[in-house]
Amino acid sequence: MGNQYLLEVNELKTVFSSESGPVTAVDGVTFNVKHGEVLGLVGESGCGKSVTAESIMRLLNEKHTKYDGEINFNGRNLLSLTNEEMLGIRGNKISMIFQDAMTSLNPVYTIGDQIAETIMIHQKMKKKEAYNKAIDMLKLTGIPSPEKRIHEYPHEISGGMRQRVMIAMALSCKPSLLIADEPTTALDVTIQAQILDVINELKEELNMGVIMITHDLGVVAEVCTRVVVMYLGQVIEEADVDTLFSSPLHPYTKGLLKSIPKIDGDRNKKLHTINGVVPSLNNIPNGCRFAPRCTYATEECLNEAPLLQVIKDNQKVRCWNYRQLLKEEVQNNATTII
Amino acid sequence: MKAYIIKRVLSMIPVLFLVAIFVFFLIHFIPGDPASVMLGPDATPEEIDNLRSELGLNLPIYQQFFQWTANILQGNLGTSLYMNMPVLEAFISHIGPTLSLALLAQGVSVLIAIPIGVLAARKRGTSVDSTFMLIAMLGMSIPSFLLALILMLVFGVKLQILPVAGYESLSSGILNHLKYLILPALSLGAIQAAVITRMTRTSMIDILSTNYIKTARAKGLRERVVIYKHAFRNAFIPILTILGETFGSLITGAVVTETVFNLPGIGQLVMNAITRRDYAVIQGTILIIALTYLTLNLLIDLLYGVVDPRVRLNRK
Repeated sequence: MGNQYLLEVNELKTVFSSESGPVTAVDGVTFNVKHGEVLGLVGESGCGKSVTAESIMRLLNEKHTKYDGEINFNGRNLLSLTNEEMLGIRGNKISMIFQDAMTSLNPVYTIGDQIAETIMIHQKMKKKEAYNKAIDMLKLTGIPSPEKRIHEYPHEISGGMRQRVMIAMALSCKPSLLIADEPTTALDVTIQAQILDVINELKEELNMGVIMITHDLGVVAEVCTRVVVMYLGQVIEEADVDTLFSSPLHPYTKGLLKSIPKIDGDRNKKLHTINGVVPSLNNIPNGCRFAPRCTYATEECLNEAPLLQVIKDNQKVRCWNYRQLLKEEVQNNATTII
Repeated sequence: MKAYIIKRVLSMIPVLFLVAIFVFFLIHFIPGDPASVMLGPDATPEEIDNLRSELGLNLPIYQQFFQWTANILQGNLGTSLYMNMPVLEAFISHIGPTLSLALLAQGVSVLIAIPIGVLAARKRGTSVDSTFMLIAMLGMSIPSFLLALILMLVFGVKLQILPVAGYESLSSGILNHLKYLILPALSLGAIQAAVITRMTRTSMIDILSTNYIKTARAKGLRERVVIYKHAFRNAFIPILTILGETFGSLITGAVVTETVFNLPGIGQLVMNAITRRDYAVIQGTILIIALTYLTLNLLIDLLYGVVDPRVRLNRK
């Protein structure tokens, strides 16, 4: 292990204290990120993707949050660092871009001010230098005439531009890890593609690791190398992107993949849906957390929680019945071929 | 920008006109006659009638109104019936104490309220927060005359460290001047401070939960910078509205406080004018107060542009 991984999240547990008692939003999440790799973190709203990301950045209000486990970044456990030490990491070694570019920039400062601010604190540059660097960064993200843009305020530019500004800001200190929390959700499709391209190109250029948080499997297919699927605070499946799309093991993953509309699909056929809704974190089912919604659930699934098992080098799954399912699938395929 | 200001100034005219109509008729419908007040209880009806015609009070009310407005349009607010001096002059001679008091009260309340409001927002839900909010609630609920009397009793009568009432102008030395204003400013500023504290807290709590504050933290900024640079400037926008309103009400005369502390300010001028039925003074002063209020509002609106680039007018 050691230096092979840029980031190792090990049995991470994030517990919020709330008025109705502690709520475990992230429950024993484990995954790794290598240099130059894009790891997709996928799941429905409320599955703990964003909380995982914000735990890595230590952005949660720590008065009401308890962590357990380890987040090793370049060999240092981020959870054991002091606030002061975290200040040197946030925005410098690990950066984050957020879902809603429209509201993620401060409305009362110019774009230049906001990018240069990060550069000034982390790289100890003078204002002038930092501004020049900011212009370079904007150029890098494909913003035309950055010398002019830099004096504009967020409300004067479009949503796509704002997300580019966010990216420029996040990458201005050449971080080794970028966490992108649904960076394209609020953007229209053409802009989405452009933003993903920008992230991909800059990833190559800086050789950084990227955690791409999304619920959009299209985004996953486009940019990710490996995917971690989360459900209700736990990792339920992990695989490289090709394996996940070609032979998903967990019924939940299968359901997600089946629910993607196909361009050549039958228009009169209803899209596949997964039964039920995600239970609340206050009311976590016994046994397998997905069991109440799973069509394959057995007695065992309802009573005993499965562990995340390593199936192959590149695939892990948290399911009691994956072998059974695999067999059935092979048979089904066989019958369709005959 | 220029066009905007001109438009705003022009739009003040109808407002002032309405205020003028309202004040004029309201005052004239109050029972009591200036001539009989001025001449005292021993005056004969003839004397009163003579004075009435001298003052133009025997004319039909609409004629009086037209005469008054015509005079105002020429820049003449009229002459005090009682003090025998032009209304504008009377106003100017009384503005000093009011202005000093307003500035001091506002200054004190802002200096206390904003840091406390910010602190309460940061410590939201803790005992620090609830203690300050309790004090603020008290400050808002206590009538200013009661607070004034308590302050007088404690600092003026018991401790005898500050004068109970009265006023010394700035020309008698700044310390002397301030000495008389501390208690009135405290009693007046307490309410303002309470309002501003609560506003600051609410506004800061709103802003602290926005996405751009998360961005600021994710950049690795210190909490101090996040709070004061990124959050406060945004939170200040609604606070500015409150500041404008409270300052407006202070500068246009705190009648109760000025009366209790016997400060010869605008509040006292209006009070006395009302008891003397000094029509010209009441009408003129209220008109100036309305004008001051409108001007302050315009100033505040222009200040928004300084704080918030989104409402700036002269950008391309």
